[in-house]
Amino acid sequence: MRIFEFIFRRLLTAIFVLIGVSVITFFLSRVVPTDTAALYLGTKARPEDLERIRIKLGLDRPVPVQYAIYMGDLLHGDLGTSIATKRPVLQELTDRLPATLELLFVGMFIATLIGVPLGVVSARWQGTWADMFVRIISIVGVSMPAFYLGLLMQIAFFRNLEWFPLSGRVDADLRFTSPIDPITSFYLIDSFLTLNWVALKDVFLHLVLPAFTLAAYPIGLIARMNRAAMLEVLSQDYIRTARAYGIKQWIITYWYALKNAISPTLTVIGLTVAYALTGTFFVEVIFNWPGLGLFTVRSLLALDYPAIMGMTLLGASGYVIINLIVDLLQTAIDPRIRLK
Amino acid sequence: MNKKFFVLSLLLVMAFVANACGSTAAPAATEAPAATEAAAATEAPAAGPVVLKIAYSSTIDTWDPIASFSTEAAYLPNVYETLLKINKPGSAEKYTPVLAESWSVSEDKMSYTFNLRSGVKFHDGEPMNAAAVKASIDAVKDHGAAGFIWWSVDNVEVVDDLTVKFNLSTPQPIDLIASSMYAAYIVSPKALEAFAADENFWADGKSYGTGPYMVEFYTPDVEAVFTQNTEYWGGWEAGQYEKVVASLVPEATTRQQMLEGGDVDLAERITNENLDTFRNDPNYTVFEEPSFFNYVGIFNTLRAPLDDVKVRQALSYAIPYEDIIAIGAGGLGTQSYGPVPAGVYPWDDSVGQYTYDLEKAKALLTEAGHEGGGFSLKLTYTASNASEEAFAPLIKDSFAQIGVDVTIEALSLGEQLKLARSGADAQDMTLLLYWPAYADAAADNLWSLFYYTETPSWNLSYWNSAEYNTLWDEGSALSGTDFEASKEKYVEAVKLLVEEAPGVFFYDTKAVYVIPNTVDGFEYNLNYPFWHFDYYTLRAAK
Repeated sequence: MRIFEFIFRRLLTAIFVLIGVSVITFFLSRVVPTDTAALYLGTKARPEDLERIRIKLGLDRPVPVQYAIYMGDLLHGDLGTSIATKRPVLQELTDRLPATLELLFVGMFIATLIGVPLGVVSARWQGTWADMFVRIISIVGVSMPAFYLGLLMQIAFFRNLEWFPLSGRVDADLRFTSPIDPITSFYLIDSFLTLNWVALKDVFLHLVLPAFTLAAYPIGLIARMNRAAMLEVLSQDYIRTARAYGIKQWIITYWYALKNAISPTLTVIGLTVAYALTGTFFVEVIFNWPGLGLFTVRSLLALDYPAIMGMTLLGASGYVIINLIVDLLQTAIDPRIRLK
Repeated sequence: MNKKFFVLSLLLVMAFVANACGSTAAPAATEAPAATEAAAATEAPAAGPVVLKIAYSSTIDTWDPIASFSTEAAYLPNVYETLLKINKPGSAEKYTPVLAESWSVSEDKMSYTFNLRSGVKFHDGEPMNAAAVKASIDAVKDHGAAGFIWWSVDNVEVVDDLTVKFNLSTPQPIDLIASSMYAAYIVSPKALEAFAADENFWADGKSYGTGPYMVEFYTPDVEAVFTQNTEYWGGWEAGQYEKVVASLVPEATTRQQMLEGGDVDLAERITNENLDTFRNDPNYTVFEEPSFFNYVGIFNTLRAPLDDVKVRQALSYAIPYEDIIAIGAGGLGTQSYGPVPAGVYPWDDSVGQYTYDLEKAKALLTEAGHEGGGFSLKLTYTASNASEEAFAPLIKDSFAQIGVDVTIEALSLGEQLKLARSGADAQDMTLLLYWPAYADAAADNLWSLFYYTETPSWNLSYWNSAEYNTLWDEGSALSGTDFEASKEKYVEAVKLLVEEAPGVFFYDTKAVYVIPNTVDGFEYNLNYPFWHFDYYTLRAAK
């Protein structure tokens, strides 16, 4: 089957991409002047202990040899041990992945749900006050730095209005009143499955501010992209024909036109998912969201290179997979795009 | 087929979203402000245990009480106990007996005997006895990061089940060392065995101590939850917290917002710039106490011109101490008297200080044959230290006024030390934040920073004074037998340090705590500078 051949070929190239990424990250992290053994043992370590740790971590060997050892371990699913937490990097990443994915999914959901209609409205009523309004929202969304927007949200909705909690995934008390049973570690799903309404509400309230902060940039981008694509489609002959047939305007706009305009928008959505993954770095730090972003920032500051390596490989894999999914979705929606 | 499937799944997803929004978003938008407040006021105390919530900045580098030598000391003393606890300066008694009920020292000061509290059990049910004490100290001497504090202990001897004897190779104050915040916890032998078999034994947060609280749950980077050890030998009374939730919040502004918003009862480390808000608020008490920490700048005395004592003295006079305290610590610091932090043994103000006096500095430079300066120095500081980052430029500006050019470089601490240890290639001046491992700055600061050894560890000045080394040796030898006499020797050594100026002594920092009136029982003990909150002493205010 064509589609499986296509997927197979893409995955094969992905492997080379990942090898390239691993080489660059690995050697870059060794060029940075730092004493890993000192990081491992803490500030007041004795020189003789430092020497012992250097040998234990293999730091006394040439960098290419260290790389070969790392890649050998990687094939066995071993990403090494974090210098800062002294726990396996793989475990650190998988523990934190659900928190980030939950935030990412909800954020992208909001972005799509708001961004696409905004683009449609803006194109449909091009040049009116509605268009102007949407364009202002887009510009603000795209140009406002996430860390600044996050702080503004906290001041407005936590401090002044007291609508939403400040930070974290759940309230600290929740553990004692209605604890979440971590079935999937996606708290929305877990609390929903276990019919734990107190927890569901708490999880939801905690998600709102970070998810909207994360969604701001994609909303702007998606609205702009979709507006441009819609404008192009709406001027096509077949739209005029549809109008001539007397089909209702909203059906023309939301069904016939949007269907053709969504394809380029989808590419943008896919790419912004990858962008939003880096956006979580800021959002998670501000909202103290216990996900990959917070972990990555901490690892970067601590020069915890096994953790940085693991995170880079994970991010690169995510990027490759999202691109693949976008390509497949495009062919599903628009049969004119053929798999090559 | 493809198309239908896609449309169907899209519809399903939409339906799910619509559902989720419909069921949760609507009530949330209308009820939220009232509901959350009401829930906090009525539900929490009725439904759950009495919980103390704290926002911490201290990271937990390890849960291993043997290996611990870092900021996890904010948590571990709630779980693990030492033989003795050293009281805060000025207390009537120097020590509070904890796991030891009493202790004595032999006539020749060559052995300490501790009589242990009977009936104490570790969290895993093992009895706390002489064998457990011996096992713990042996383990920490073997692989504890701060195990060096026991260097004078030849061996630990089990006399009987509840009596343990420390035999020394040279007299040292073992009672003081046994009260250390590092390397002195008594740990269940079962855990020590388990660690020997599995290096990652401690990774997930365990408790094998005798302390009043146990680790119930730990999620790295998120929180650590502690629960009462109901068997605690000290007993429990009404008003003490049943659970403690320690949220790990690295951002200072977030911690402050959590405290002000009532999300937590206590918060660690509020930035000095924001303290006025709390000082003016009657709902909070702000404590400003002396601390264990101070900033020093170490000169590399290997090369000219810093090998000349006159030049070093000149530079010491060219440090704008008051401005540095204002900029580096928001005014919350005091100029140091040598490398010993105020309040810590063997601090003494008779050792003197340098003043900020550019005329004197210029005159000294002229005397040394460097009229108008004319040389340049390389200064390094720790990149992650915001205070050093803030005050390093002040040094550059001030030195420029006496004709000395300074290049500033920010490095990671590890890299800074590596460079400083490289001898002739090292930087000229190294800024360090330093603190002693336990309440003895002579055994740590005076030795680590300035006692000459062939290969430097922290003694980065390469300053080789036989007179200083001798004074220190004499002080150390006396510390196990005659504490007062040893202090005199140490003070003499520090006087020499200040006179010869192999380093600049900037300021001792202050420990600052913002405590809301809703929490009672906060007490600051200088001798446990990382142990910010002792859960056992805290009470919910009525």
